[in-house]
Amino acid sequence: MIHLELRQNSNWWTSLRSITLALLITAAFSIAVLFLMSDKPADAIWQMLTFPWQGRRMEVQFGLVLQQAAYLAVIAIGLSVGYRANIWNIGAEGQFAFGSIGAYAAYLLIGSPDAAWAFPVLLLAGIIGGCLWALIPAFLRVTCNTNELLTSLMLVYVASHLLTYLCIGPLKGDPKAGQAETYPIADSVQASKLISGTELHTGLIVLLVAFVILAAILLFTLLGYRLKVAQHTPRAERFAGFSPNNTVWLSFAISGAMAGLAGAVYLTAETGKLIQAENYLENFGFAAIIIAFLGRLHPLGILLAALMISYVNVGASYIQASLQVDDSVAELIEVVALFAFLGCAVLDQYKVKFKRTTVRAAT
Amino acid sequence: MSHAALLQTHQISKAFGPVVANEKVDFEVQPAQIHALLGENGAGKSTLMKIICGLQQPDSGQVYWKGQQCTISSPKVARAMGIGMVHQHFALFEGLSVTENIAFSIDGAVQGRTLEDQIIDLAERYGLMVEPRRPVFELSAGERQRIEILRALLLNPELLILDEPTSVLTPQEADQLFDTVRKLAANGHGIVFISHKLKEVKALCDYATVLRGGRVVGSFDPREQSTESIAELMLGSRNISTERQHRNIGEKRLQVRNLSITDHDQALHVKQMDVHAGEIFGVAGIAGNGQEVFYAGLSGEQTTTDNNAITINGTQAGSLGPNERRVLGAMFVPEERLGHAAVPQLDLLDNVLLSNISNTEATSKGFVNRRYLSAQVEKITKLFDVKHAGNKTAARNLSGGNLQKFVVGREITKQPSILIINQPTWGVDAVSAMRIRETLMQLAGTGSAIIVISQDLDELLEISDQLAVLHQGTLSPARAVQDWNIEQLGLAMTGSTSGAAA
Repeated sequence: MIHLELRQNSNWWTSLRSITLALLITAAFSIAVLFLMSDKPADAIWQMLTFPWQGRRMEVQFGLVLQQAAYLAVIAIGLSVGYRANIWNIGAEGQFAFGSIGAYAAYLLIGSPDAAWAFPVLLLAGIIGGCLWALIPAFLRVTCNTNELLTSLMLVYVASHLLTYLCIGPLKGDPKAGQAETYPIADSVQASKLISGTELHTGLIVLLVAFVILAAILLFTLLGYRLKVAQHTPRAERFAGFSPNNTVWLSFAISGAMAGLAGAVYLTAETGKLIQAENYLENFGFAAIIIAFLGRLHPLGILLAALMISYVNVGASYIQASLQVDDSVAELIEVVALFAFLGCAVLDQYKVKFKRTTVRAAT
Repeated sequence: MSHAALLQTHQISKAFGPVVANEKVDFEVQPAQIHALLGENGAGKSTLMKIICGLQQPDSGQVYWKGQQCTISSPKVARAMGIGMVHQHFALFEGLSVTENIAFSIDGAVQGRTLEDQIIDLAERYGLMVEPRRPVFELSAGERQRIEILRALLLNPELLILDEPTSVLTPQEADQLFDTVRKLAANGHGIVFISHKLKEVKALCDYATVLRGGRVVGSFDPREQSTESIAELMLGSRNISTERQHRNIGEKRLQVRNLSITDHDQALHVKQMDVHAGEIFGVAGIAGNGQEVFYAGLSGEQTTTDNNAITINGTQAGSLGPNERRVLGAMFVPEERLGHAAVPQLDLLDNVLLSNISNTEATSKGFVNRRYLSAQVEKITKLFDVKHAGNKTAARNLSGGNLQKFVVGREITKQPSILIINQPTWGVDAVSAMRIRETLMQLAGTGSAIIVISQDLDELLEISDQLAVLHQGTLSPARAVQDWNIEQLGLAMTGSTSGAAA
């Protein structure tokens, strides 16, 4: 029989060991999958690891990785706030969509898109949009005791249909476009490129700043402590004078705000317009859930996990182009990484002991 | 013996380390007898029942079943012999139907007839009306208990043990239960009825055994004894010492007027309560009589809209939460150490912070002063001799006694103006317990007002100045400890008077 024994003291060393083990499992699985999916597996593995140095300019490839990582990390750190307190918002995709809708609505409302304050106002509107959408499941949980896991997820589909509706209905733009979309926003409120030829733009700096601020709040202020207490025991939360309901409001507001900000940046920097949901949403909101857990809900871990996963994603699309390996390999790797990391996290707290079972005789 | 009893224990002893739970217990149940087992918390009732049900083995002594000596090595053996037990806390699956719940527990014992027919049959015979197909979550506590009883009866027990069966029932449901119990006895079943409520015992039982401190202190027909004398037998002839340390009683620190709240379905009513500086106010009562909601109401974990109901140091505080009450000078120590007073997974530093959120030395503008917390850990562990392996030790790695000293010390080092402490020495070793009691008395000596909620009557008699009794969520009027006698205390604790003793 396999027994798990609680460790007296778990520290960074036990964590490092289990993370390394998880990485090894993920790597082994990825290699096995590439062997099955490609007729040139050695090339596929090599190219996936070193794609930035293959073919196109290196900064373009790294730009793609950083671009995707920024969105994932910002949404994931927002989600980690609730997850730390066992509050499960899995509807970031919808909050992201609402961030974009909020920003676009603000664009339509303000008369002067050339003003210097127009861009920040759009971002702010995105934050508010995501936040409000996230407060719906919070409200339902606090007042009706509904399961926020279900409500937040279902609101994703509501939000994405709403986005499509806006694009085919009231905000319909150029009818000759090949997809349902709105008219683009003015150049003056679009994020500007940092390095020409790459995907790096000022919006990413906004995301980085937001990430750092929230990371500092989580690591150094009472909010982080409050979430820790809430995670472990709701009764101690009451003893400390923290209202459990307020923790729900707070974590949904923060995670919604972060997803909304990401949505607003996405609108101003990547598309410049709203597009029907299936062509607009890139599953950042769902991938971020995985990132949050891969990063063990710690800001630094989330950052590394976001970089790792977007490296895998960009690498997978690279080998799809060069070696015709289907890029769904990236999703497989993500999921395996999640299982490996969650499974190995047990080893942080517990020692595995192999024992022969003995039937204890009654005395 | 002239005839064989259904069950007889002879000189049963059982100790857990230094704690003697049962000492030379002789206990006898006859067929068709309703036999009450009485005693305070910790008198040894549970241990005796666990031995009879095969959950524990006695250190010495014998058990006889129908005159034959036997060894009850496991609950399975006990069930096969014909001993059934209905526990105080139900073990039912909410989502399953009555029949399904019963089917689960009687693996293969039912043959031939369908289980449902059998349930209906038994239910009719004993007045245990249930609808076999209803899911459990729709049922009241009384109906759930009937399922538990049916479950036990399906195994054809000759002896049925009911552990505090009325504690969760309404008076009407309790009356129905009594009818059932009488029918069972009339059919020849022996019944052991564990209860604290003397009125019930006198109404229902034809024999009673009283345990105190693990020993049998009396066996008699409860119908022939006065409630007073039974209560006194349960509590023993303790001397309420009239000599107490002289402390200066100062101004009123805590005032409660007509406080009515409900928390987790427990209701609390406190008509009047005043605690002064330098005073220890004891709250006695048998477990499960509203101690938790009383603590929640005073600590602010459960607030009331009536702001006047509680006054802390002159400020109306009924609607204030725990931290606002802490700012007014009240500090709290809840009963449960792990999971309420402390977060098991967090280290000592973080656990000091738990009750210091509103302390401006520990936090300011949302930031945490770790240096202060670290100094506090030093101070607490040194002053209260808490053995630990450094500030980074998780709370769950401390022993019960050490953790209790830590959570008590955490509040006392802040020199509280009012301290509310629930079960200060519960499950704590004797040395630590003594240390904690001394500390509380010293604290009162320096002018704090202290409210001690405890099930340990000896403890309360030792340290309290004022004493009140909590029974079914209602606090009796308080009296100076010297003005109580054991008989009155026993009556108040078992609910045999309706507060008329005041």
